[in-house]
Amino acid sequence: MTITIALPSKGRMKEDASAIFERAGLKIAAVGNERSYRGRVEGMDDVEIAFLSASEISREIGNGGVDFGVTGEDLVREGLAEADARVEFCARLGFGHADVVVAVPEIWLDVDTMADLGDVAADFRARHGRRLAIATKYWRLTQQFFSAQHGIQLYRIVESLGATEGAPASGSADIIVDITSTGSTLKANHLKILSDGIILKSEACLVRARKAEHENDPKIAEIVSRVRAVL
Amino acid sequence: MPLINLPSFAADMLTDFERLGTVRVDTPVIQPAEPFLDMAGEDLRRRIFMTESETGKSLCLRPEFTIPVCLRHIETATGTPRRYSYLGEVFRQRREGANEFYQAGIEDLGETDVAGADARVIGDAIAILKARLPDASLSVTLGDQAVFEAVVAACGLPSGWQKRLIHAFGNAAQIEALITRLATPQPVSGLSADIEALLASGDEATLIAHLDETMEATGYSTNASRSPKEIASRLKEKRALARTALDGRTLDLLREFLSLSVPLADAPAVLFRFAEKSGLKLDGALSRFDARVAALGNAGVDLVPLTYRAAFGRPLDYYTGLVFEVTLTGQEAVLAGGGRFDRLMTLLGAKTHIPAVGFALWLDRIEKAVAGEAAR
Repeated sequence: MTITIALPSKGRMKEDASAIFERAGLKIAAVGNERSYRGRVEGMDDVEIAFLSASEISREIGNGGVDFGVTGEDLVREGLAEADARVEFCARLGFGHADVVVAVPEIWLDVDTMADLGDVAADFRARHGRRLAIATKYWRLTQQFFSAQHGIQLYRIVESLGATEGAPASGSADIIVDITSTGSTLKANHLKILSDGIILKSEACLVRARKAEHENDPKIAEIVSRVRAVL
Repeated sequence: MPLINLPSFAADMLTDFERLGTVRVDTPVIQPAEPFLDMAGEDLRRRIFMTESETGKSLCLRPEFTIPVCLRHIETATGTPRRYSYLGEVFRQRREGANEFYQAGIEDLGETDVAGADARVIGDAIAILKARLPDASLSVTLGDQAVFEAVVAACGLPSGWQKRLIHAFGNAAQIEALITRLATPQPVSGLSADIEALLASGDEATLIAHLDETMEATGYSTNASRSPKEIASRLKEKRALARTALDGRTLDLLREFLSLSVPLADAPAVLFRFAEKSGLKLDGALSRFDARVAALGNAGVDLVPLTYRAAFGRPLDYYTGLVFEVTLTGQEAVLAGGGRFDRLMTLLGAKTHIPAVGFALWLDRIEKAVAGEAAR
């Protein structure tokens, strides 16, 4: 069986992922020219590398189009329903750190916790004639965190595909759920993270699609143990 | 591939609805999604079938009938009281069962005799189920949001806590977590020295002005979202409660109340004894509860299968009083569920307060129960 590993196709993520694979004795060589979207692992003929965008990687692992992928945990958990049943997070790779957080305007001095936010959401309609609006691209993570973990139902999601931090100041949403690594963009936009508002501490992971044919394939176990050994 | 034939008893059910004096309505299958998401929350989004019109309007396949029936009532400005019935397909993404299935039900809008209308929906739901399942043993669980609200109010809790408790009512895990949390003080931290000073001085006007200036300076509009006044007054309220905690006696009372589960016929006496023993003044809510039990008796409903469970509610902000569910005795599947939603009509845009109560029947589950009964 040929094993396909999907790796990020550009930027820091690509370099960091390739470096770990190389340390693990899985040196990746591009097929054809440097900018090709296909690659192979030196010394392992039946392993293919597919260079994809980060969000494609999570989708391909989800539908079993590839066997392994390196991508952010946030993208996998946002992209797939019941992620743990469909994929295995084999290793946390120590780069691409970012937290998915709930952030509110700094000026909301009375709101520090999700419980505070629950109070505000419960009253919002009566006070403002509309539900509390959350700007985010993380629909699924937001719903799980707000509804299942904190019992907050009464809010609306405003889809935001970029510059989410600007939504509260511009008035297009009241609060945001977004990714942050240093918090500096939030600060610049006068937003603060709620004390219990960290939804997910994400980083790049080696993720395996759960497939029956992996069970008895020693190469699968070997790839995982080699990567784990160098972390 | 499963078939979606109408259950064979559908025609009889429609005859029942007519005999009960309801007006049958059939709403479009394709509905604007906004009202459903607005009323039930974003969590519904994963469970409905949504699409977008060519112009970007969010549409969905009808996930239930109550909201469309109520919206139509408002649009046509029909007078009240009015009792509507429906029978048709609804569409939801479910873990168990098909994604499209039939529901039927009655919505009773504008009846001011609350106890009478409550008793009538329970009686109608049971009678319609009995007609399909003459030999089955049915169990009815009944709850009352208004009694819980009265208990919370009579405990003399701060209004912010009352709201939190009422909001969590019906979600057992949530309410237990909340009660536990309220039992320890929740300090307010992280405020700057000048805000602390303003709070300590009690000068709310200056605090509001300060918030207003900060918002202007940081590019936040003061009227797009929460206003400086709203933030200041909630901060003050939170501050006042920072050293307070739910006392042990109230904690026990709330837990005792929420654990009540008794035959409905005994519930008035049990609630009266609870109020007397705890010293809580629940008179209004209890007399309305008693009036409903009496109305059920007057309507000839057999009270034996009915159980009152104090913690039973629906955590949606438009439910106001009665909630009930009917199952086969000893089984989980809900065959009929209903309740009073006096706040829904104004939330949907009605100009006047319109009391509303109704129930929905799950025809696929009833069909299964009928088949099970025939097999025995």
